[in-house]
Amino acid sequence: MRDAEPAARATAIESLDTVVSAETPEGIVIELRPAGVTARFYAYLVDLLIRMMVLSVIAGFAGPMGGLGLALVLICAFALEWLYPVFFELSSWAATPGKRMLGLKTVMDNGLPITPAASFARNLLRVADFLPLAYGFAAISMLVRQDFKRLGDIAAATLVVHQPKAIPNLALSNVEPLAPALPLAIRDQTALIALAGRAAGLTAERLDELAAIAAPAAGTTEPGPATTRRVLGVARWLLGWRS
Amino acid sequence: MTPLQFENLYRADWEELENLLAAVRGKREEQRLTQGERVAGLYRCVCEQLALARARSYPAYLVDRLERLSSEAHQAIYQQRDFGLGRLRALAAREFPRAVRAHAAYVWLATAVFVLPCLIVGLIVYAQPELILSVVDAETAADFERMYSGNEEAIGRTRDAETDLAMFGYYIRHNVGLAFQCFASGLLAGVGSLFFLAFNGVFFGALAGYLTQRGFSETFYSFVVTHAAFELTAIVLAGAAGLRIGHSLLMPGRLPRRQALVIAARESIVIVYGVAVMLLVAAAIEAFWSSAVWIPPIMKYSVAAACWIAVIGYLCLQGRNAR
Repeated sequence: MRDAEPAARATAIESLDTVVSAETPEGIVIELRPAGVTARFYAYLVDLLIRMMVLSVIAGFAGPMGGLGLALVLICAFALEWLYPVFFELSSWAATPGKRMLGLKTVMDNGLPITPAASFARNLLRVADFLPLAYGFAAISMLVRQDFKRLGDIAAATLVVHQPKAIPNLALSNVEPLAPALPLAIRDQTALIALAGRAAGLTAERLDELAAIAAPAAGTTEPGPATTRRVLGVARWLLGWRS
Repeated sequence: MTPLQFENLYRADWEELENLLAAVRGKREEQRLTQGERVAGLYRCVCEQLALARARSYPAYLVDRLERLSSEAHQAIYQQRDFGLGRLRALAAREFPRAVRAHAAYVWLATAVFVLPCLIVGLIVYAQPELILSVVDAETAADFERMYSGNEEAIGRTRDAETDLAMFGYYIRHNVGLAFQCFASGLLAGVGSLFFLAFNGVFFGALAGYLTQRGFSETFYSFVVTHAAFELTAIVLAGAAGLRIGHSLLMPGRLPRRQALVIAARESIVIVYGVAVMLLVAAAIEAFWSSAVWIPPIMKYSVAAACWIAVIGYLCLQGRNAR
């Protein structure tokens, strides 16, 4: 029974969450977290603003230059419309400035960095996404799919993902390491360490409640801040600290 | 091994890899090459350590750090930067004409969808010039008549304050965008590409039929014939690429529909690269050569013949024997 649990848990997460798993040639699994409509809409707005600003600056400079200036403005408008996303997606950012601001990134859907062909394809096919108006097809496609791909993403096999934020290190330096009062199974150890990892983000009362469940491991039964400190001490001991 | 021991044991490696990755990003080529071996070695170690850390249920911050590190290194190592000069040369010398020939059936279909409406509407409008009004409005028709009447100092446009350069910019923006549209709308089961091909055919045919009937054939044809070698071919090719995409959706064959679409997009995008370049050439010709009135028509026709032969020869013959 035990062995079946992680697999069941994995499928439960797959069906609930929007994580896309990609395996690398080195045999590890990278978890990609596709970005939804809202984040991508904001990123698009930021990009649109940037493009409009750049174009108006160029127009300001080139305006008095007559025919040459007009040519410059038109060519820049063309480049900003079609090549701006391609240029930034193929840079080391792998994201347009708007996407970068929102912490997004464009990758292939197998976790590899985006290829030039895929970047061109997904950005030229934007035209089809734009139809019938205001990115209608893109919105429908993103809303009905679990991996939030627009049509261009489907054809180019790309994915816009959230760049993971770092999880902060455990802040346990203020508790004394404490040997567990009874032998703990691996699962229990993991649960204790996970609790310690979340301690900073929980209210004191909720932390006390949760720690009370693990109190026997710390050799007490009474809930309260003292028990919580002991439980966190056990977690610290499990991490490898000794007094 | 406790998480703490694990972390202390490998921390130096992780920090080194983090520093190397920071250096690799945005650094010059030779530095990348010298550090590549070390990065790859450290990356493989980190992958192994990540697998260990996951199997041993180490704390989240540790697994997370290894995940981010391995994912970053993975991106850096597998990044494809094949868009340098070598790749451009390969595209021009082999890949583009080969891709066109590989899609010959689509190219013929696209040609038919463009040329047939063009001929039919052209003949109809030639027989009954007032029918031009069902394609464009009266004002536009009058504009065209004025542009090609031969009294202007430049053909193909009314010269207000515009110069050749400004028109060059306009042609790039307008025509390349049009071709991209023609390609991308193929994603709608090919219907979009068919529509744009036929629409452009009808428009061009109506214009040609009307102006021929009005007796402006020399100014009109000597104007369009040179850049048409690049422009019309490019539009047809863009439409063919779009048809390929639409076809992969309608009839994916033995592949899953999504897979067929991905392959179609990857193979047909090569055609679109070539189309974009052809349209840049067309825009330059249209702005600087076709519109010049000082060049006698016979000269324009000769150059145009050379261009047509060059374009068709290039698409049919280039890169057949190369490796």
